[in-house]
Amino acid sequence: MISADHAIARFRRDLALGIFARALLLVTAVGGVVISGSRVPSGNMIGSALMIAVMIAWLALNRRAARRSRQVADASSLIAAGRFEEAEKEIELGLREFSLARTVKLVGLHHLALLRHAERRYGESAILCRTLLNQRLGTMGNIARPTRLIMADALLETADLTGAYAAITALYQEKLSLIEAVQLQSIQLDYLSQIGAWDAMISGWREKVDMTEIMPTEVSARSQACLALAAKKLGGTTLSTWLVSRVELLIDPARLVAQRGVLAELWPGQLPVSGNAPAEPA
Amino acid sequence: METPKQQFLDVDRLLESSEVQTRGNYLPLIFGVVVLLTFMVGQALADAMQASPGVVTALKLAVMTGVLIGVSSFSVSSLRRYQRQQLLLQSIDELMHLRRWPEAGTSLERLLSRPARLPQVRVQALIYLGGVLSRYHRYTDAIRVYEYVLEQVRLDAPTDLSIRIGRAMAMLHEDHLVDADRAISELRRHPAGGASGAVALVEIYRDVKTGHMDDAIRLAIEKRDPIRLQLGHRCGDVHALVARAYDVLNQPEAAQQSYRAATLLQPEVELQRRYAEVARLAGKYAPAQQPQGDA
Repeated sequence: MISADHAIARFRRDLALGIFARALLLVTAVGGVVISGSRVPSGNMIGSALMIAVMIAWLALNRRAARRSRQVADASSLIAAGRFEEAEKEIELGLREFSLARTVKLVGLHHLALLRHAERRYGESAILCRTLLNQRLGTMGNIARPTRLIMADALLETADLTGAYAAITALYQEKLSLIEAVQLQSIQLDYLSQIGAWDAMISGWREKVDMTEIMPTEVSARSQACLALAAKKLGGTTLSTWLVSRVELLIDPARLVAQRGVLAELWPGQLPVSGNAPAEPA
Repeated sequence: METPKQQFLDVDRLLESSEVQTRGNYLPLIFGVVVLLTFMVGQALADAMQASPGVVTALKLAVMTGVLIGVSSFSVSSLRRYQRQQLLLQSIDELMHLRRWPEAGTSLERLLSRPARLPQVRVQALIYLGGVLSRYHRYTDAIRVYEYVLEQVRLDAPTDLSIRIGRAMAMLHEDHLVDADRAISELRRHPAGGASGAVALVEIYRDVKTGHMDDAIRLAIEKRDPIRLQLGHRCGDVHALVARAYDVLNQPEAAQQSYRAATLLQPEVELQRRYAEVARLAGKYAPAQQPQGDA
């Protein structure tokens, strides 16, 4: 299993190598042109051969990068299907092989962060996300949003509320897809419940409840439980009871309470397992 | 002469028009020819214009730059076309999530009316088409789309399973009970089928359709965990079908309880639209009420 530190070191080295290789190709091509135009004996022949070699190398490396890019992209469906070992292999291959395109490396690192998040290794996931977001993403800017979402959730899981807040705020500046907006809402509810911002949680609850219906079961149940808790804190017993009834149809409350101790207030019989106690309001 | 009006989401037409255009990959060949030409022209010019090698150099540089720009623009324009189709596909997915079926249908019509850039985009669009057709109760058309995809495309196990589930559901809605039974047997043998909550839903619907109400209730209890975990709010469908089963068995209290659970998770009108059997329960049992006003 590739460690986050090792992956990051490899990623940085390969990016530097990629820049060097591109510069080398460019210098060789220009050199070829200059030589072919010079009065050196057989200069035209040598120069043209150099240019052809550069073009062939450029074409071959780009084709390889495109193929590898498709393979790395497959890793996300493997992660979604829970086939972590296969995903790990694909990602490792993508990160290990040299590629002229930065895209392969960036996507590879993004998928590694996604994989570590799915494996609940949140610390590593957050480090990988941060490294990726510190890069100049250029045309790959579209992976910044999902990466930031993964980072916000990972930071929340590691109880880094300040980091999670920064990541959530940065996402407000972005135009999100529906699925991303749904993910952000679940992270935000989780964050707000941890700092006890009950008013902010309950504002616009109808729209929030609608959004929870398209979340995966466990996330949906957790978000609705957070809303139920906020309603209870603010004296909205009817809403709280309604939401609790929905949650109980989706998941065993003990499982939720084990994940988020703060939710024990909704099911007094269930005791929190981990030390995920409610934080003081910021 | 009057032109015949096109049917909305005409399956035959869309299957034909969306065929992936297979284009030979001529890029390396063009590239090779240009490089060779550059070399030959450069050689000829170098021989003829010994006195001015700078012109030869400039010419070669111009040709090489031209080739690089041409190839790059071709790649960028292909990528943009592909991204446009991907974005449209994503917006269709969102519209379906939001239950905005007419807009989803219109976007699918637009996407599938021209050749797809990539087979994966077309397959995904066809899967969405099956879903939209089912929503419009055009089950025969939905079955055609699903069967076309199953016959023509090699799919990964989860996608294959979800299409087979969609097809079996459409068969049940269309009362093709023998075909549906065969389809369900295939689902059970499917590598990912045994533990699937969605397969359980299909089986429960089959049992309700064929009057095996006890089996439907037993299966719903037995498969409670995968149903809840995998279907999320759609497990309201199972509660609604179980309510119907209890109703037929003349157990009104249990039916009321299941109907309430179903309508806690899904809007009542949506459940009634989805299953004719559930529509018969309307007015007979009280749905769960969503709280009104602010918290």
